[in-house]
Amino acid sequence: MPAVSVRNLRKTFQTKRKAAGLRGALAALFRPAFQTLDAVRGISFDMEEGELLGFIGPNGAGKSTTIKILTGILHPTSGEASVLGRVPWRQRQELAFQIGSVFGQRPQLWYHLPAIDTFYLFGKIYELDEADLRRRIALLAEAFEIEQLLETPVRKLSLGQRMRCEVAASLLHKPRILLLDEPSIGLDVVAKQRLRATIQRMNEIEGVGVLLTSHDAGDIEALCKRVIIINDGEIVYRDKVSTLRRRYLTVKHVDVRYNEQLSPDFSLPGVEMLKVGRFGAKMRFDARVTPVEPVIGALAAAGGLADVTVSEPTLEEVIGAIYARAEAENE
Amino acid sequence: MIRHLPFLLALWKANLISAMEYRVSFLTQMVGMMLNNAFYFVFWIIFFDRFEQVQGWNLLDMFFLFGVVATGFGAGTYLFGNALRLSSLIAEGQLDYYLSLPRPVLLHALASRSNASSAGDFTYGLLSFAAAAVYSDSFSGLMLLRFLLASLAAVAVLISFLVLVQSLTFWIGNAPMLTQNAFNAIITFSLYPITLFDGTAKLLLFTLVPAAFIGALPAEFVRQFDLGQLAQICGGSAIFLSLAVFVFHRGLRRYESGNAIQVRT
Amino acid sequence: MSSRAARTRSAATGWRRASIKASAGKYWAVFRTQLVNSLAYPMDLLGRSLLIVLFMWIFMNLWRVTYGSTGARSIAGLTLADTMWYLMMAEAVMLSKRELSDTITEQVKDGSVAYLLNKPFNFILYHFAAGLGDTILAFAGNLAIGSAVVWLMAGPPPGLAGWLLAAVAVVFAWLLDFCFSALIGLSAFVVEETNAFRWIYQKLLLVLGGLLIPLDFFPAWLQTVAFNLPFAWIIYGPARLFVDPSLTRLGAVLTQQAIWLAVFGCAVWLIYRWAVARLAVNGG
Repeated sequence: MPAVSVRNLRKTFQTKRKAAGLRGALAALFRPAFQTLDAVRGISFDMEEGELLGFIGPNGAGKSTTIKILTGILHPTSGEASVLGRVPWRQRQELAFQIGSVFGQRPQLWYHLPAIDTFYLFGKIYELDEADLRRRIALLAEAFEIEQLLETPVRKLSLGQRMRCEVAASLLHKPRILLLDEPSIGLDVVAKQRLRATIQRMNEIEGVGVLLTSHDAGDIEALCKRVIIINDGEIVYRDKVSTLRRRYLTVKHVDVRYNEQLSPDFSLPGVEMLKVGRFGAKMRFDARVTPVEPVIGALAAAGGLADVTVSEPTLEEVIGAIYARAEAENE
Repeated sequence: MIRHLPFLLALWKANLISAMEYRVSFLTQMVGMMLNNAFYFVFWIIFFDRFEQVQGWNLLDMFFLFGVVATGFGAGTYLFGNALRLSSLIAEGQLDYYLSLPRPVLLHALASRSNASSAGDFTYGLLSFAAAAVYSDSFSGLMLLRFLLASLAAVAVLISFLVLVQSLTFWIGNAPMLTQNAFNAIITFSLYPITLFDGTAKLLLFTLVPAAFIGALPAEFVRQFDLGQLAQICGGSAIFLSLAVFVFHRGLRRYESGNAIQVRT
Repeated sequence: MSSRAARTRSAATGWRRASIKASAGKYWAVFRTQLVNSLAYPMDLLGRSLLIVLFMWIFMNLWRVTYGSTGARSIAGLTLADTMWYLMMAEAVMLSKRELSDTITEQVKDGSVAYLLNKPFNFILYHFAAGLGDTILAFAGNLAIGSAVVWLMAGPPPGLAGWLLAAVAVVFAWLLDFCFSALIGLSAFVVEETNAFRWIYQKLLLVLGGLLIPLDFFPAWLQTVAFNLPFAWIIYGPARLFVDPSLTRLGAVLTQQAIWLAVFGCAVWLIYRWAVARLAVNGG
C-alpha cells in the first residue's frame, strides 16, 4: 500500500469580491459577489513509503493547498486522500503523530525562545518520553549541525540556521513522512545545499519519506527521485527526475572554439546561431529535428577544433518548456 | 481535557519563559492594569457614597462583582490569551501551525499566548474578593470554594463567548469591529449591577451577550450558596462551552489557510 | 488650482508668509487625507459609533433607577435628561479621540520616528492633523447616533447655544488631550512599555474627568480637586457647557483649557526638542 494516495482531489476557494470605494462597500454588504477559485482541480498520485517525491510548480499552482489537505489543515471540496491509511481531515490528530511538517513561510519555533525550549514543548505535544527526547535532540542536533544554536533565542538566528532548527523540530517524533512546503524559501545557495544534504541524510538513516514542494527546481533536482509538476491546479507531468531530464534534454547548447579564423557567415543547417565570433561560436539546436551526429561532424569539418562543450538545459528550463507546452495545449 | 493537562502546563510554562524575556514590560503592564482597575472602581466608591444603593445593590456587591469578573477575565485571557485575537488567527491563516500538530486545535491555539496585562486583572480580582470577604465579615473556606467555582465558570463563559463571536470569521471574514464591539459589550455589561436591567434586557444578558454568567450570577453565588444558581452556573458554562467548540469546528471546515490570501493579492 | 496660484503669488511677495501658508497647507492636506481615508470605510465608522448606544443604554438604566430612588427631580441642579445629554457629549468626546499615543509609541519603538523627524514637517503637528481628520468624522457619527438614542430615551436635546458653545470647547479639549497622548507616546523614549500610562490616563478621564458621572455629583472636596486638574476640562468642561450653555461658563472653561494647554503644550514642546536632540546624538 502506498504511503500517500490521492484520488481526484479538488479544492475550491470562495472569495468575496469587493468593488472599490464607498459604493462598493455598501453593495458588498447587501449583495456580496463571490468569485470561485479552483486551487486544485482533480489531481491523483501515489507516494511510496520512504520515497523522496518532489512537487514543483509556480506560485499559486496548488502545491501548498495539496500539502495542506494532506496534513489535515484544509478540507478538500471533493476527492479522496489517504496518508498512512488515514483520511487527513477526519483523523488529523492521529495522523499528526505519524507525520512531520514544515511550512517555510510559517515558523513553528517560538520566536522569543531558544529552539531547545520549543523542542521540549514539542516533546509534550507529541507525548515523548523525557529520556528518549533528550537522545533524539542530541542525534538531530548533530545531524543538522545545530548543537551551538539550540540555546540562542530564535529571533537571533539567521534564516538558514532557523530553517535547519525548524526541520529538526519536525523530526523529533520520528515521523514516517515529512511534508516540506517551500523549505528553502529565502535561503542563500550555501544554506540551501546544507539543508538539502541534511534532509537526504535523514532519509537514508531513518527511511523517512519526504514530500517536498518548491518553486526552486534545484531543490527537486538535488533531493528527489521522482517529480510531479503541477500548474494551475493540475498535474502536467510526472516521472522520474532522470527521465524528465532525458526526455526534455532535446535542446542542446554548443559552444565551439577553433584554432583558426572562421568565415564570418559561418552557419549550419537546422542550427540556430546565437553568436558568431572570429575564433568560435555559440549555437543552439533541437536534437529531435536536427540529429546530434551530423552537427558535430559539420563542426569538426569546419576547421581545427580547439574545444567543444555541449550542455543540457537545467531542470528550470525543462520545466519552463513543460509549462509552455501545457499552456499551448490548453489553447 | 485531563489527558491534555501536561501539554497545557508545558505551553503555559513556555509562555511564561517567553514573557520573562521582557520582564520589565510584563511587570509594568501587570501593575498598570491593577492601578487601572482600581481607578475605575473609584467611580463606584464615589457613586455609592452619594446614592448608597441601586435597587438592592450596594458597594459590597460591587466588590464581589469586580472580584469575580476581574479574576475570571484575568485568568481566562492570561491562560487563553489568543481568545482576544482568534479572529485574526483565522483570517490570516495562522491556524495552520496548530492544525499540523496532534492536539485539539482550539485548545492549543487559545493557550499559545499569554496576555501580560491579564495577570494584573487576575491579581486585582483576587484583591477585590479579599476586600469583599473582609468587608462583609463573612469569609469562610466554603466561600473560597464558591469563589473558585464562580471564577472558573466566568472563564468558561467568557472564553466561549469570545470564541463564538470570532468563529464567525470563518463565514464572514475578518470583522474587527464586530469583535471589538462584542468584547466591549460583554465586559461593560458584566461590570454593572444586574438589577438595573428589566426582563428583556436580562434575557439578553443570559443569552446573546451572556454577561450575567460572567458577573452578576457567579458574584451572587459567591456571597451566598444557592442550589438553583449553582445549577445555572454549571449548566450555562456547559452549554456555552459546547456551543463554542461546535461552532468553531463547524467553521474549521471552511478554513482557508493562508494560501487563499496569497492567491488573491 | 486656485490654492496653488495663491501659493506661488505669496512666494513671490515674501518667503516668510509663504512658509507659514505652505506649512498650514501641509497640515490641512494631512487632515483632509485622513478624513477621506476614514470615509472610505463607512462600516468601520458605523461600527465605532455603536459603542455609544451601548453606553447610553446602560447609563439610562443606571440613572433612571438612581433618580427614581432619590425621589428628587434634579440632583445638583441636573435633571435626568440633563444628566443623559451630559453623558452623551462626554462619551462622544471620549470615544472620538484617537489613540495617538499608541501610534507615537510604536514609531518611537521601531525607530521610524528617526525618519519622520527628518521630513519637512513637525512630527507632533503632523500627528495632530492626521488624528483630527479621523476624530471629527467619528465625533459626527457618535453625536448623530448618540443623540438619536438619548432623544428617544430621555427627551429633546439642549438648544442651539449648547451645541455651539460645546463645539468651541471640544476643539480645545482635543488639543489638551492630544498633549497628554503625545507625552505618553514620547515617554517611549525613556520607558519600554507605555500601555500602563495610557490606561491610567483613561481612567483619570473616567473618574476625575467626569466621563461616567457629572462632577457636580461629587462631594465638595473632591469637586475642588477635580476642578483644579486638567482632566475635567477635557470631558466635563464641554459636556457641562452643552447642557447649561452660558457665556460665563464658556469663559471659565476656556480659561482653564488655556492655562493647561500652556502648561502641557510647553511640556510636549520641550520634551520633543529634547528627544530630537537625543536622536541626533544617538542616531535613533
